[in-house]
Amino acid sequence: MFTRKWQPLRWVRYVALAPLLLLLNGCATHSIWWIFDPHGVGAKASFDYMMIDVAVMLGIVGLTAIMIVWFMWRYHKGKNRGTYDGKWAHSTTIEVFVWGIPIVAVGFLSWVVAINGSFAVNPYNPTVITRHLKPHGDPIEVDVIATDWQWLFIYPQYHMAVANELVVPAHTPIFFKLTSTAVTTDFFVPQLLGMIDVMPGMRTKDALESDSIGRYQGVAANYCGAGTSWMLFKTRVVSKSEFASWVHHAQQSTGNLTVAGFNRFAEPYININNKVEYFSQVQKGLFNQVILEVMQGRKWPLPMFMTENMVGYLKKQAAEHRA
Amino acid sequence: MLVNLPGPWNPWLGRLALSEIPYTNPILAPLFVVVVVLVLLMVAGITYYGKWGYLWKEWLTTVDHKKLGIMYIILGLVMLFRGFIDGLMMRTQQAMAVGPHASGMMGAVHGYLTPFHFGQIYSAHGMIMILLAATPLLVGIMNIVIPLQIGARDMAYPYLNALGLWITAAAVVLVMASLFVGDFAHNGWFGYAPIFELAYSPGVGVDYWIWTFQLVALGTTLGSINFIATIVKMRAPGMKWLRLPMFTWASLSANIIALTSFPCLQVAIGLVAADRYLGTHFFTAGFGGNLMLYTNLFWLWGHPEVYFVILPAFGMISEIIPTFSEKPLFGYVTMVLATFAIAGVSWLVWLHHFFTMGMGPYVSTEFSVATMLVGIPTGVKVFNWAFTMYRGRLTYTAAMYWALGALFLLLVGGLTGMMLSIPAINYMVHNSVFVVAHFHMMLLCIVYAIFGSVIYWFPKVFGYTLNEAWGKTMFWLFSAGTALVFIPMFMEGFMGMTRRLDWPFDPHWAPYLDIQMLGILAYVLSILAFVVMLYVSIRDRAQHRAAADAWGTSRSLEWLTASPVPFYNFAVVPQVNARDEAAWRREHGLSAQRASHYDAIHMPNNTGNAIIIGGLTFVLGFALTWRIWWLSLISLLAIIAMMISHSAKGDPGHVIPAEEMERMDREAERAMPRADLPRHSGGVLGGAIAYDSGAAGAGSRNLRGAPDHRP
Repeated sequence: MFTRKWQPLRWVRYVALAPLLLLLNGCATHSIWWIFDPHGVGAKASFDYMMIDVAVMLGIVGLTAIMIVWFMWRYHKGKNRGTYDGKWAHSTTIEVFVWGIPIVAVGFLSWVVAINGSFAVNPYNPTVITRHLKPHGDPIEVDVIATDWQWLFIYPQYHMAVANELVVPAHTPIFFKLTSTAVTTDFFVPQLLGMIDVMPGMRTKDALESDSIGRYQGVAANYCGAGTSWMLFKTRVVSKSEFASWVHHAQQSTGNLTVAGFNRFAEPYININNKVEYFSQVQKGLFNQVILEVMQGRKWPLPMFMTENMVGYLKKQAAEHRA
Repeated sequence: MLVNLPGPWNPWLGRLALSEIPYTNPILAPLFVVVVVLVLLMVAGITYYGKWGYLWKEWLTTVDHKKLGIMYIILGLVMLFRGFIDGLMMRTQQAMAVGPHASGMMGAVHGYLTPFHFGQIYSAHGMIMILLAATPLLVGIMNIVIPLQIGARDMAYPYLNALGLWITAAAVVLVMASLFVGDFAHNGWFGYAPIFELAYSPGVGVDYWIWTFQLVALGTTLGSINFIATIVKMRAPGMKWLRLPMFTWASLSANIIALTSFPCLQVAIGLVAADRYLGTHFFTAGFGGNLMLYTNLFWLWGHPEVYFVILPAFGMISEIIPTFSEKPLFGYVTMVLATFAIAGVSWLVWLHHFFTMGMGPYVSTEFSVATMLVGIPTGVKVFNWAFTMYRGRLTYTAAMYWALGALFLLLVGGLTGMMLSIPAINYMVHNSVFVVAHFHMMLLCIVYAIFGSVIYWFPKVFGYTLNEAWGKTMFWLFSAGTALVFIPMFMEGFMGMTRRLDWPFDPHWAPYLDIQMLGILAYVLSILAFVVMLYVSIRDRAQHRAAADAWGTSRSLEWLTASPVPFYNFAVVPQVNARDEAAWRREHGLSAQRASHYDAIHMPNNTGNAIIIGGLTFVLGFALTWRIWWLSLISLLAIIAMMISHSAKGDPGHVIPAEEMERMDREAERAMPRADLPRHSGGVLGGAIAYDSGAAGAGSRNLRGAPDHRP
């Protein structure tokens, strides 16, 4: 068998392929497998539930697949491996097992993962976060308004707001209230917290707590028109002191957000150039005011040049991007 | 006008104007030329060979369930191709546009499609694949197979059957028209409220989407009534409920779902139309509208629809695996129970399509557990197929390849489906490409089952088998495509890549998107293999002439009559003695039994009304899309007038005398090969009863007292 001489150098050449491994890891500080590399309390809990579910299901599905392949091999016609019984079509024992195994598995997963998990990471009151609300770590509130196609994050406790960037302190529960001006989309930071719909004229909630300082990518996870793919926001989890200085910095900016100013901000805009804007003053109750106005029928209609023929608009935006 | 219409409108042409034809679009303009040239070539060809009369008499006006089924399948295959081209364009765009530094062309910032164009493509892809490819393919196969499996001469309502086809065809033409006149919806195939409102989708795209949906829903509902009536009322004598072939059971459950759920869709889409045309506020964000209501109403249909397409596919697998295992289906009764369990639970799970809407843990949990319940009967089915192979004698034909491929896709789809059914997990992957990969596993399971059954039942319909080698080549190429496209897509889902990105922003995704392009290439090759398979099979059809029982190991009733099936299906309606009638007769040496006595039969007449009404529904849909009110009114009135006139006139049908039946049956018998394969006639055991002479669906008549070893 082993007539060929052992040639160590034959193996060395595979080292040349090692850089390919970088593809798996990327150059980022975090893994590119965002769902497998959670840094938020909720995302971590979701990941754990996923692992339990996959382990149970893979046990059943994997064994079934092996069984099918074995039957396929054993009962191949003409190979005479297994005995043929052309009449055999019923066995009460097997029937009990084929119903019993899925019933037991579904029962187990229902209780352990579906029911417990739904409460643990319930976006409105995730017990993984709320059950150890520390008296010293005051929660931060963030009001999120999605427009066509930007994100506005209002920090009502600090009367300031920032567009298209979310900055939160580590080790602190963050409670979000979310709404949208025009259409429905999804608020999602893959490594920190799961998706929650943002809907016009309605308020949803979500919560976040992270112990890992770092930069994460936030996205609009639901199609909401031409600007969806550019509706990105960097999410920075920073230390508490850094957060305080960031808030201070933001409060020094000149931007001022009244209801009228917001209505201008909410005009359709594709954020091709990753514009981040700071507003040092935000009119009190802006979030509720936006919901109320939408319920009363305010719309931000899309002009035809942002739908049917958007080549010109994109050209203009791209030119801005280069400038 | 009740709404503020953006853009011009005039009373004669509505919103239609020359500028709505995208003749400057570098993709659509050449495509339009190609389509026009192809159509002209076809017209010229038909005229040259003088086939217009043949086409009209034999196909366009037919009410024969087999011909209608064939046309359904051709329609479905053409739309499968169109949907694939959409998929190819989406994959190409994402592969080109990945990362913020990707260059752009043809007006796009990244890649070659502007976001709005990209939105139209994936919306069209989803809608076409589910409603205009999978559904017609399944309805077509049901159309051909069900009457044969239950020993009926035709469907219960042959004219309604034709009407269903031509209304579906009208929907197909409407969605194809949106390519070249105006545009299509950009809001996803299921639509989001309120983005489909006039304020956020000012063009005609959403209107095309609305009327295409309405037409195909109408066509499918009509079809489902027909299938249920046929299965309940037209079974051959002796075909008791627990002798019904599994595919017929699956189709029955699917059509019950269709009949009860499609009206839901029509209401939901009808209310969207009211919002856009009448200025109502059903699903608007303001003025008391409730946009979440739309999502509920849509998925209240949408999830049963998923089972409407998967259950017949399960039925097909349940026919193919026993035939090529040379064994009866394991656990037939539990299989029937499982089928109806899936159909029943399908009504209780719709909310899992939007767990992220934030309905709270109590509601989420209920729907999560209900969704997981689907896993129980589905698991039972998989186990039963496995135990059908156990102690069998497995022949690996191309049809068996596809059926087993479907089985493995179902395993992957089930594994990932159980993940998605759990809210805690769902929040992380809900709108990601992980979901896209998951439901493609399920829909490809259907496509695999369809290809399997096309190969399986092809000899029954056309009288010769398809080329096995090319069928297997196609299977491997197609499976390579499936693996190369969807394994990377599952991985991207775990990387947090969300769906419907017209440019994926993270450059790390690039290699995975490139691998998917290789998969697309494999799919392209598999399409070529399919074409070659058809060509080679048609060329060599004389060598591959099929006997009545084309596979030699077939089990159900349709394999008793001649191949190709004559227009009257069975010369004499057979007496059913067992669950697997063909196998039972083979085992009892009755395969060569011939009919001793023929009766005159009564067949329905052809009618041109169905295709004319279908054409008028297209005109109605087109006129409504473009808001040409006068044309809408005229076409609607014409449809109603045609309906009334057809009903008033009725169809006396025609009678074929007994001697003629005998002659045709002998001829069909002679045309089949006298190979060593077991041969069957349409003959019966003793007291044959044609269904038109009454007593259809009667109880078992085991006249010869032959042992009935299975219930």
